[in-house]
Amino acid sequence: MYIEKRKLSRTEISRIETSANIILAVIFIALLFAYWSIQVLRNRYYTDLASQNIIKSVEIKAPRGLILDIHHKRMAENKLNFTLFLNREYCENVQRIINHDCSVLGLKKEDILKKIEKYKNYPSSFMIPIEKCLPLEKVIYIESRSDEFPEFKIEIEPARAYPYGEVGSHILGYISELTLDELNEMKSQDYALGDQGGKSGIEKQYEERLRGTKGVRRAARDNLGRIREIISEEGSIIGETLVLTIDIELQKFVEEIFKEHFGAIGIVDLKTGGLLAMASRPNFNPEFFSGVLDADNWNALVKNPDKPLHNKFLQGIYSPGSTFKVVVALAALQEKEVDATSISLCTGNLKIYDKTFHCWNSAGHGPLDVVDAIKNSCNVYFYRIGKKMDIDVISKYAQMLGLGNYTHIDLPNEKRGLVPTKEWKSHVKKEKWFPGETISVSIGGGSLHITPIQSLQMVSTIALRGRKPKLHFLKSYIDSKGVEHPFTTEFEEVSIEKIHFETVIEGMYKVVNESGTGLAAKVPGLDICGKTGTQQIISKENPNYSKLVKQKKYKPHAWFISFAPRHDPKIAMVVFVEHGGDAGEIAAPLASVIYKRIFMNKQ
Amino acid sequence: MKDILRYFDKTAFFVLVAIPTFGILVIYSASNQMATSYWSKQLLWLLLALIVFFVVFRIKTDVILRFSIPIYIALAVLLAIQLAAGELVAGTKSWIKTGFFNIQVSEFIKIPAALFMAKTLAKIPEIQWKEFIQLSAIIGVPFFLIALQPDLGTAFMLVSFFIAALMLKKIKWLVLVVFFIGIAASFYIGWTYLLKPYQQDRLVSFIDPSKYQKSIGYQVVQSKIAVGSGGLTGKGYLGGTQSQYQFLPTRHTDFIASVLGEELGFLGISFLFLLFFILLYRQFNFKSQSDEEFYFAYMFNSIILFQFMVNIMMVIGFVPILGVPLPLFSYGGSSLLAFFTGEAIIFKMKINSFVYEY
Repeated sequence: MYIEKRKLSRTEISRIETSANIILAVIFIALLFAYWSIQVLRNRYYTDLASQNIIKSVEIKAPRGLILDIHHKRMAENKLNFTLFLNREYCENVQRIINHDCSVLGLKKEDILKKIEKYKNYPSSFMIPIEKCLPLEKVIYIESRSDEFPEFKIEIEPARAYPYGEVGSHILGYISELTLDELNEMKSQDYALGDQGGKSGIEKQYEERLRGTKGVRRAARDNLGRIREIISEEGSIIGETLVLTIDIELQKFVEEIFKEHFGAIGIVDLKTGGLLAMASRPNFNPEFFSGVLDADNWNALVKNPDKPLHNKFLQGIYSPGSTFKVVVALAALQEKEVDATSISLCTGNLKIYDKTFHCWNSAGHGPLDVVDAIKNSCNVYFYRIGKKMDIDVISKYAQMLGLGNYTHIDLPNEKRGLVPTKEWKSHVKKEKWFPGETISVSIGGGSLHITPIQSLQMVSTIALRGRKPKLHFLKSYIDSKGVEHPFTTEFEEVSIEKIHFETVIEGMYKVVNESGTGLAAKVPGLDICGKTGTQQIISKENPNYSKLVKQKKYKPHAWFISFAPRHDPKIAMVVFVEHGGDAGEIAAPLASVIYKRIFMNKQ
Repeated sequence: MKDILRYFDKTAFFVLVAIPTFGILVIYSASNQMATSYWSKQLLWLLLALIVFFVVFRIKTDVILRFSIPIYIALAVLLAIQLAAGELVAGTKSWIKTGFFNIQVSEFIKIPAALFMAKTLAKIPEIQWKEFIQLSAIIGVPFFLIALQPDLGTAFMLVSFFIAALMLKKIKWLVLVVFFIGIAASFYIGWTYLLKPYQQDRLVSFIDPSKYQKSIGYQVVQSKIAVGSGGLTGKGYLGGTQSQYQFLPTRHTDFIASVLGEELGFLGISFLFLLFFILLYRQFNFKSQSDEEFYFAYMFNSIILFQFMVNIMMVIGFVPILGVPLPLFSYGGSSLLAFFTGEAIIFKMKINSFVYEY
């Protein structure tokens, strides 16, 4: 039997029920309103956030433009390479990665820590390149366990390759990852940390043409960074193709015969001013930088006392020695201090300003005119000119012919050298110019310092009888549409009369062909004109000269500047052998071999 | 038997089963990318819950009321033992391993606790100091035992008993003042001495989730994005990027409503609300035989309402993340079983006024 067991009255119960129903209704209406405002009113806002969550844009690196030689052989190209990236978004614990993954994948802990430090100001979605040129077995290992290593990502990227290895390294230069400072300098442009860029040579000079245009890939990624769907892809555009004036086969030949020496060789096509070959020894392998560059290797290269990264052709500053005599002769002829028939007597030495200046031939050359003075490289003849002429006049002609000035060749970091003037002496040295210094300069010594490329420009100008060519490496570039844009050849007229060039060239012809100092350069059937220069490191008056000179570092620098043929010249060349010894014995024969290779195609 | 069928609240029962069934559909989508097939496990739990429902439904209300206090004590002791020597599962001690299933005692103690509360409320005319302490003790014991596990969310749900009690009974205003001072004091003490740093982080991140975007606030940010981007009709079943691309945390349990909101939109959410509204409305309005029955229905359904509110608001960042699942809907066997047991008692109570013997 049902008995009502309650104290609560009917009215009380219905009061509680009514208020409960009201509370219930209020709660549900409030919650519905909250969801309405988020889901319907603010839907746009959250939809944007949701797509930002999943859609990630990743840039696609552009392959660099090719670098071809004059016959379109590839000097620089791209090969595929696997790069390992670290994505910090998916790193819950950096320590775990370092301790676990490094040992599993055989990576260096310090390297990863250093990289993380370097990129710490970048958003965590930025992929840090950890290792380039990842070996295939590691690629397979990581890719097959992508769930185990969500923080690692492997991308295929183009890597720079140089099919000829070390050959032409000083022309091509190299590329490597840009540093923070370099990136800041390029802020306005489309560079990001981790990008590579040209650091020297053609790679740096024509960086803008070579780098191409990056592409963008938009993909939907899940919370672990795995691509679920590719939304759009805008491919990258390869950089422009550069065609150089270099003949890679000749370049290879030159570097092969030059490999025993240190120094620089430059060969120019006088019709265009384009360099056919340019070697600087020692050299390096530019591919070394495209791969994994660890600090030890880099330091070894930078601290190498032989400085393999130093391009002696553009950056080496040396006294021109006797090769400068052709400049002094031209200056004296044009200024009418001498004429082609004036005779001067060499007795082996000359006393000027109470000081005795020696000729290299202590027996003396006897009476000689300007042609013979060049042929025999007679010091005394040029001492007399030095006594007659003002240093500023000599300098004017030297600079006119390209010495002591930038040639503005299309390679970076060219050095200027020094052609001294009175103003320079008082300005920089805070001293008066002594007439005795002019005597030293007149045979290519003293404070006179030039680079091998300036020497090449000078001899080219003489060969072309006063038409100074603009030296260059770029023959043409081919843009993305395939249109070829040739480099325009430029010549500058030098204000020295042609007749004087003929006189000097007569002397230079005799240097090689009429038992002059450059006899060793003679090639039968080819009219080579040249001038030797043996620049002493220690004075011949030094009592220990004969002993010391046997040591490599005291051996004189050997110069040989030349061109051929004498009439309608096609090729000019400078051979500079650092501590090579006597120019006639070391530099001239090298030139001879190269001429034979060029004109007779003999190897 | 005919009478039972006649007076059995079929509408409420339909809704009671519809909510977890709907839940299983959403769990399927939520765990689509997971290794464990939670939906099938939950389906088994639902079948078990239905069996338990009808077993409990057969028990006379008098018996249940008589044994409620011993069961309350037994479960409290079990919680204490668990706390002392319980097996450590994911840092919390709330699970007891029993063969096939893990049972959460903390989920079940709310049934005898609600019964105990109902019995006490039926005896007292008004909440004075003595009654206040009595009621506080009934809630306080399991609260601290659960909070120390530490499972702050589940413990916090017991507070709903107190709120409901305050609404059902007259209370001396001084007691109310002391009650609020006590709450404030225990918040302070709890914050300083009891909360683990990660729990403090959760509460702090509630104030400024974007600041904690990558850590704890991340969950709220992602959940709001999921719900907000769902729009009116949603992105379609299995089509939510936030859920399917795994941006949502614990999406088969605490954040199941974000999955629903994202994939089925405001309409899906409204449907869920409607189901809960019908259930609660039906359980708050029925002809009870006794005061105990009346109070129990209010106690037990208020915890459902409270937990529903906290979870639904947590998902859109209106309250801190407390680690509370959506009742009857989220994945979780113990919780489902406990709610079905409690509801079975209420369904029984609803026919007591009409059916005398069976």
